Amino acid sequence: MEIRLDGIVVIVGNYGSGKTEVAVNLAVVRRNAGIEVRIADLDLVNPYFRTRQARKQLEARGVDVVLPEDQYLNADLPILSPRIAGLIRSPAPLTIIDVGGDDVGATVLASLADAFGRQDFQMLQVVNPYRPFTETIEGCLKIQAEIEASSRQAVTGWIANPHLLDETVADDVYQGADFVKNLAERTGLPLEFVTAPVELVDGLDAERIGRPLLPIRRQLVPPWKQAVQLPGIISKVAAAAKTAKGA
Amino acid sequence: MAKVLMKGNEAIGEAAIRAGCLNYFAYPITPQSEVAEYLSRRMPEVGGVFLQGESEVAVSYMIFGAAACGARVFTTSSSPGISLMSEAISYIAAAQCPAVFVNIMRGGPGLGGILPSQADYFQSVKGGGHGDYRLLVMAPASVQEAVEMVMQAFPLSEKYRNPVMILGDGLIGQMMEPVEFPDHLRTEPTNKDDWATNGMAFRKSDKRNLVKSLFLDPDQLNSNNLTLKAKYEQMKQEEIRFETYNTDSDYRVLLVSYGTMSRVCRTAIDQLKEEGVEVGMVRPQTLFPFPEEAVRTAAGKAGCRAVASIEMSMGQMVEDVERSVRGSLPVHWYGKCGGDVPTPEEIIDFTRSLL
Repeated sequence: MEIRLDGIVVIVGNYGSGKTEVAVNLAVVRRNAGIEVRIADLDLVNPYFRTRQARKQLEARGVDVVLPEDQYLNADLPILSPRIAGLIRSPAPLTIIDVGGDDVGATVLASLADAFGRQDFQMLQVVNPYRPFTETIEGCLKIQAEIEASSRQAVTGWIANPHLLDETVADDVYQGADFVKNLAERTGLPLEFVTAPVELVDGLDAERIGRPLLPIRRQLVPPWKQAVQLPGIISKVAAAAKTAKGA
Repeated sequence: MAKVLMKGNEAIGEAAIRAGCLNYFAYPITPQSEVAEYLSRRMPEVGGVFLQGESEVAVSYMIFGAAACGARVFTTSSSPGISLMSEAISYIAAAQCPAVFVNIMRGGPGLGGILPSQADYFQSVKGGGHGDYRLLVMAPASVQEAVEMVMQAFPLSEKYRNPVMILGDGLIGQMMEPVEFPDHLRTEPTNKDDWATNGMAFRKSDKRNLVKSLFLDPDQLNSNNLTLKAKYEQMKQEEIRFETYNTDSDYRVLLVSYGTMSRVCRTAIDQLKEEGVEVGMVRPQTLFPFPEEAVRTAAGKAGCRAVASIEMSMGQMVEDVERSVRGSLPVHWYGKCGGDVPTPEEIIDFTRSLL
């Protein structure tokens, strides 16, 4: 089972649900499948552990990364790059929009309502059932309702991202996937895919999971750890050109 | 309870609840606002109180008030916010009330930045506020350790009737790690009837409990300061905590590092070991009282030629390391103070330069 997402995919979820890690890994997997991918970091809420940390790795693989201007990269100011509205109006074949946490982070989507207009797009909510406030179905539904109210958009599907970082074992993935399957059934919205740490993927029973699997190669690591190498052809030329353009 | 994945800030909030603290007053500031976010949801669930003050100054005196009444109480803030609270911290220490303060440090001085820093070492360890007081200062290096230290901080603050400071850098607050919690302790400070202003119903005589930090009589003020000093001496005897790393080896350099910076040092030490270079480390878990003896012993090991303090400040811990080593070896410093955490490679290069 392959992940076949395209069009505009908006990724939402509660704080620390893994939106950015999912967005970055999804971008690379789809790019390696030959699709043109653009990823926009709309996390205006929290200055730590954002898409911008994986910028070089993404750009080297030909993913177009849209970030606030360099001078504002480390600010906790609500700066929305004017490029964002433009990329929504004329999207790449796959445009991933990584939104900040909770309803607070999703508020920014309401301000882009004009740009979205009547375009089709998917808004997927990431759930890690091992995080506080999303360990119950009711907790997930509450966050869904809050995000929908502040973004003025409807969640269209779920992403199961069940993990305990380095301590994740196969059973955590199976049980977490089952949890989000129940949530999907309860809401009538599809479970688009399930994630698993790349180190576990080979040992997992794909049939038992029954949904497409996104291997997660951790990018947002603390300074004493190494990010996992992302797959794909590294185009030094593309990365250099991009840097030159950015400068 | 099964492990959950939590940000340090959330885990600090939950740990306080589990420690039986149901009073949290705070004012938001990056990078620790998630503590307030978390507790604004959780406190009502457990019958506790979260109140956002109109400023850090207001919050700090709300803490004093609640502590004086014998309530278990805490607050969290970040560097400039702690500066604003420093006056009340001095008052609370002088009045001998227990309270827990958490500082998730950001870069300074001034408004500085919002990225990780350890530049409030002097502020927490040497003073911050005025007068002859000390704080018991604990520095966690992981989210799990932050939980454990917060839970220990409440009974320690009650044992000494003195504020305890948990000093974490921005990463401690922001990073996520799997954590485990013990059950919620529904207890209160055990000794509070001896000193708290919790009502005459709890007095055994007609004598009222009085909480104050004003002592106009010179003998009384001197006597209060001697009482405080005795407590700080007792802390030095009973509360020093530290961890050593690779000190069984024949190391040639000893690093002293705390908080998340020590985890970068560990990675550097592991890599250097693979390259055939042995380096040891002492990680203070309490910054006051400082593990002087441990640093002195480790530095005194045969073959150790240099000591270095590795910290995200401009060398604020160097003085304590020098004091511990007592001139037997040179004490060097490496660090950064803008928000970029030094990398393992930088630590390796620096350590190699000392060989």
